[in-house]
Amino acid sequence: MASDQDLVVETVRDILTGFEPFVLTAERRWDSGLWSALADAGLTGVGLPESAGGSGGELADAVAIVRTLAAGSAAVPVAEQLLVAGPAVIAAGLPLPPVEEPLTFAVADAVTASPAGEAFTLSGTASDVPWAGAARHAALLLPGPALALVDLSGVAAGAAFNLAGEPRGSLALDGVPALVQPLTEGQASELRAGYALARSVQLAAALERVLDWTVQYAGERHQFGRPLGKFQAIQMELAEMAGEVVAVTAVVDAAVQALAHDSADVVLAAAAAKVRAGAAVEVVARLAHQVHGAIGFTQEHKLHHLTRRLWSWRDEAGSELVWSKVLAKGLLADGGDGLWPALTRVV
Amino acid sequence: MSNSLTLAPAPRSDAAEQVRAEVREFLAAELAAGTFRTHVDTWLSGVDPEFSRKLGERGWLGMTWPKKYGGHERTAMERYAVTEELLAAGAPVAAHWIADRQSGPNLLRYGTEKQREEILPRIARGECYFVIGMSEPDSGSDLASIRTKATRNESGDWVVNGAKVWTSNAHESHYGIVLVRTSPADPASRHAGLSQLLIDLSLPGITVNPIRILDGGHHFNEVVFEDVVVPGDMLLGTEGDGWHQVTAELAFERSGPERFLSTYPLLAEFGRRVADTGDSAQLVALGRLSARALALRQMSLRIAAALDRGELPNIPAALVKDVGTTFEADVIDEVRRVVDVTPSLDSPDPLARALAEAQLHQPGFTLRGGTNEILRGIVARGLGLR
Repeated sequence: MASDQDLVVETVRDILTGFEPFVLTAERRWDSGLWSALADAGLTGVGLPESAGGSGGELADAVAIVRTLAAGSAAVPVAEQLLVAGPAVIAAGLPLPPVEEPLTFAVADAVTASPAGEAFTLSGTASDVPWAGAARHAALLLPGPALALVDLSGVAAGAAFNLAGEPRGSLALDGVPALVQPLTEGQASELRAGYALARSVQLAAALERVLDWTVQYAGERHQFGRPLGKFQAIQMELAEMAGEVVAVTAVVDAAVQALAHDSADVVLAAAAAKVRAGAAVEVVARLAHQVHGAIGFTQEHKLHHLTRRLWSWRDEAGSELVWSKVLAKGLLADGGDGLWPALTRVV
Repeated sequence: MSNSLTLAPAPRSDAAEQVRAEVREFLAAELAAGTFRTHVDTWLSGVDPEFSRKLGERGWLGMTWPKKYGGHERTAMERYAVTEELLAAGAPVAAHWIADRQSGPNLLRYGTEKQREEILPRIARGECYFVIGMSEPDSGSDLASIRTKATRNESGDWVVNGAKVWTSNAHESHYGIVLVRTSPADPASRHAGLSQLLIDLSLPGITVNPIRILDGGHHFNEVVFEDVVVPGDMLLGTEGDGWHQVTAELAFERSGPERFLSTYPLLAEFGRRVADTGDSAQLVALGRLSARALALRQMSLRIAAALDRGELPNIPAALVKDVGTTFEADVIDEVRRVVDVTPSLDSPDPLARALAEAQLHQPGFTLRGGTNEILRGIVARGLGLR
C-alpha cells in the first residue's frame, strides 16, 4: 500500500543494499560505514525539528526509517537516536548534539548527578547501554528523575553484548561532566514508554521480515518432491506466524499513532505494543527456525541476523513481564469496572 | 508481507465514539433495571426478543443499510462500536444477531426488491430473526459436499429435501438462508450447482429438532426439510452461484468483534478480581491478555474500516477469526492458572460462573463459522502457498 513514507523507505533501502549485515564481534561492534551513509543522506535527524538541529519531518518518517533498518538487521543506533534520545533531549530543553554523531539512550538507575558550576558531574556506572563503545553521546534517564546528556569521548565502555552481538555494555561515569535537566515522574515514565515503543517498532519490522523469509523459503525448498509450503502442516505454521505478525503490526501502529497525537494513554499503548510484540517472538522465531530446518541454525544463513535480534529486543526496554504489570495496573486505574472503558480508550 | 493479509489502519471515528457512549449509557440503565444479566457468549445463547426490539427502536440494528429499507445509513465503524459494547456487556443479542450481521447484508446484495422491502425493515426493528443453513450432518468444513437438494416443480416452485445442522436458534427464528444443491454434484467442479434459497421456517414439511450443547443449553438445532415447497421467487441471487454468494457472506460472518469477545465477560470478572487482590501473577496475566485484546481490536477495526471502503476482506477476516477465537479460549486457561477458583454454573461467585460458562462453550469458538484449520488454509492461500 502506498504511503507518504514510501520515498524515505526507498532511500533507506537503496543505502542498505551497499551494507550487508555481518556477524557483530567485540572488534566490529557496529556498522560505522552504514551510519555515515545514513548521516550523509540526512536520515539521522529525521523527525527531529530543524530548529533544534534535526532534519525535520514527521514521527511517521522516523518510524519508517527505523522499521526499514530493523528489517535490514542494520547495526546502527538509529532507533535510539530518532525515537528516544533525540526527542528526549529536545523535550528537556538540552542542546541536541550534531545528528551526524550517534546518540544513544539508557536507563541509568545507578548513576547520580551533582552540580559542578553551571553543569553537573556524574558518578556511578550505567549498565546495559545500547551501542556502548559506538555511540558518541548518551541521553541517560537518572533516578530523581532527570535526563543527563553526556559526551562519551574518552569514556570507557565495558564489553557486553545482547544475543545478536549488539553492544550493550556499561559506561563508567565517575567524574564525567554532563548537562542535566530534572524531569517529572510522568515525563520519565513516557520516556521509558518511548524506549519500549522504539523496540516494539523494531520487533514488528523484524517479525514481518522473518515471516517473509520463511514463506519464501517454504516455496523454494523441496522435500518429498514438492515445496515445503505445499504441506498442510507447514501451511498451518506459516498461517499461525502470519496471525502473530498482523496482530503485532496492528497494535504497534496504533501505539505510534498514540505517540504522534500526544495521547494521555501513550504509556499504556506502548506497554501493549511491547507485550504483544514480545509474545509474538515466541511463536514467530520458533516456527521460522522449524520451517528453515538445520540451515537456519547456522551463521551461514541470514535468518539468525533477525531471530537473534528478536530474542534480544523483546527483553530490552522492559520485558513482557515488566510491561504487562504496567498495562494491567493502568487499565485498572479506575477500579475493576473500569477495564472495558480503558481498553476502548487506550488505542 | 503479502498485501492480501494487510489492511490500512482504521481512522478514528468521532461518530463511533459518540454512539458508543450512548450504548454504554443504555446498557448501564438496563443492567440497573435488571432486564438482563451478563453472560458469556451471549451472541449464541442470549435470546431476548424484547431486548432486540429495544435495540431496533434506538436504531442500533441494520445500522449501515439504506434508510428506505429501515436502515440508518451509518458507517461500519459505528456499527462496530455498538456491537462491541453489547458483547462486552454480555447482553442478550442472539435473537437478531445473524439477521443483523449477515442475512440482512446478504439480502441487500442478492435479494429481490420485494424481499428487501418486506424483510429488511423487520430485521432493523428487531422483530425478524434468521438462521444460517450451511452445515449438514455429513458436511461440516467440506461445505461443497452438501446434499440438501432443491428441484423445480411444474409450477416453478422449489421442492427442498435434506437437513441442516448447528442452526443456531432455528426454534426462535423466522427465516433461513439455506445453501442447497440445485444441480447434481459434478466432481470436476465441486463448487458448481449450488444456490441459496430464502426459506420461511414456518412452511409445512420443516421440522426443527433441538441439539443440546455441553451446558444443556438449547441453541443448536437440526432443521429437516421434507418435500418443502418454497415459492420460486425465493431463490436468493443467481441459480448456481451459491458458492460465490456464501463466500461473500463469510466476510461478514467472520469479521466482527464477536470473534474475540465471546469470553470478554470472563475477562471483565477477572479484571474485578485482580483489582481487589493486586496479585502480581494475576496482574501479569491480565496485562498479557489485555495486550492481545487491544491488538485484536485494532485488527477488527481495520476490517470495519475496509467494509466502509466497500471491500470484502475475506482473507484478513479469516486471519482475525483464527487469532481472535484462539484468544477467546486462551482467556479461560490463563485465568485459571493464576486464580484458585472452581468453575461452577451455580456458584455465587461471578468469576466461577463466568469461568464455567466459558469452559462449557469453549469448544465451539474455534469451530463455528469455519474451523481454525480451514481459516489457516485461507491465510496460507493469502500468503501465496496454495
